[in-house]
Amino acid sequence: MRIPQVERTRDEAVAAGVCAGIARTLSVDPTFVRLVFALLTFASGAGIVAYVGAWALLPVPGESEPSGRRRVVGIVLLVWSAILATGGLGLSNSVLLPLLVASAGVVLLRRESRLIGLALIVIGIVIFVSNNTRGSATTLLAPGAVAVALIVAGPWAWRLANERARAEERAELAARVHDSVLQTLTLIQKDPSDARRLARRQERELRSWLYPSIASGTLVDAVDRAAAEIEELHGVRVEVVHTGDAPLEERTQALVLAAREAMANAARHSGADEISVFVEPAAVYVRDRGHGFDPEAVAADRRGLSESIRGRMERVGGTAKITTAPGEGTEVELCL
Amino acid sequence: MRVVLVDDHDLFRAGVRAQLGGDVEIVGEASSVADAVQLIKSLDPDVVLLDVHLGDGSGDAVIVQVAPERPGVKFLALSVSDAPEDVIAVIRAGARGYVTKAISGDELTDAVQRVADGDAVFSPRLAGFVLDAFRTGEATAVDPELDQLTAREREVLQLIARGYRYKEIAARLHLSPRTVESHVSAVLRKLQLTSRHELTRWAADRRLI
Repeated sequence: MRIPQVERTRDEAVAAGVCAGIARTLSVDPTFVRLVFALLTFASGAGIVAYVGAWALLPVPGESEPSGRRRVVGIVLLVWSAILATGGLGLSNSVLLPLLVASAGVVLLRRESRLIGLALIVIGIVIFVSNNTRGSATTLLAPGAVAVALIVAGPWAWRLANERARAEERAELAARVHDSVLQTLTLIQKDPSDARRLARRQERELRSWLYPSIASGTLVDAVDRAAAEIEELHGVRVEVVHTGDAPLEERTQALVLAAREAMANAARHSGADEISVFVEPAAVYVRDRGHGFDPEAVAADRRGLSESIRGRMERVGGTAKITTAPGEGTEVELCL
Repeated sequence: MRVVLVDDHDLFRAGVRAQLGGDVEIVGEASSVADAVQLIKSLDPDVVLLDVHLGDGSGDAVIVQVAPERPGVKFLALSVSDAPEDVIAVIRAGARGYVTKAISGDELTDAVQRVADGDAVFSPRLAGFVLDAFRTGEATAVDPELDQLTAREREVLQLIARGYRYKEIAARLHLSPRTVESHVSAVLRKLQLTSRHELTRWAADRRLI
């Protein structure tokens, strides 16, 4: 994290441009910042001390940086104003001093001087405990300790968790590549005759992992799975394209089963090596560019077409239309 | 016909080189956005075969940087990506079509030829994406001419998505193949010019913009 650079500004300055500069950094109205300083003035004059401190500390763009001595004066004045302000707000020095020591410890801890930092935090806590020996001290101490622990350990734990998540992701990826792609490549090297089917299966598997379908248990999802089964069984390529989707219920279920049968027919009989499937919310089209057939000549005992496709669609109030001719390929239109 | 091939996989480039036939001549190859931009500007090819994903950026970046200086160069997107937002982005940048890498060599040669002749090349998958993007929504469009597909254009796109070729679509709809091509070109133009509310939302849903 980068701490935003506060600068005084001459543009909207009333006095030295401190309030306007702070307001610009915080993107708030300068009047609001001026009001805060004015109110702080009532806390034993803390507002005025803070203003002078900030004037000493903050650079003006385009002018030389404040000198080292000037910065020290500025920081001292700011700390003094903080003590005045907290005193004015009713917080006692017994809280403030240990807080300051512990904060310094935290700052050092996050740089390289860990031991000194840790020591300062411990000293801060010890001062705090010894200053507040009455019962109320523990109730104040507990949240303070938790806060310090969070500031110190938070970034470290965050980094650790991130690294672990990344390592796990890498391990999962490696396992996935090993179980799938490498295995498939090994199989293909052993027996290249089945390379096409294996490669296609691998492709499908990898795709479904890389581009998971948005919803599972929908029409598109079910058609995709049916297509994968047909590819696997018959070694043809089935390309599924879709626009829109629909939930799976009795009618869309019938649509999927009819489409699966149409794909199986195309894979078995058409001789085409690719089948196109197009899915709409209430229709599926299965197309191949194989040799087609004469619908009149299909034997009456071949139940696939009449029963599994037509009958199934008609029972749920849909239609099945088959367009084909010898040499022209086949398209089965299934509509609900 | 002079073609530049842009893809970050050597193996794939070699495959395409071996498959392309006819009078297609591969005059240059690039594997990154920066190289591609420089190469295309210096070679001024007829067609660029462009992968959607490149090592140092995406295909649409190449088109955006080249098109203003070389308006004559036609781009055909070629990808394994199943992510519709990637494909639509490259088409919106000005590509004349999109085909998947599973396309056969003959079909690819034919597609390159068609793009060179000024036609749009729609694969079934692209037709599906476009139908999705132009899904009938409420007519809140600023420019209804651009922002909607006509019934005929929708019909043509649907047939492409179903796996029909232009000639078969023409026969089925009793149109001339030329008319089918002009419908397809009109859809492509709409996709590239449209400021459609619906399309914006579609893209936003897929974190495209």
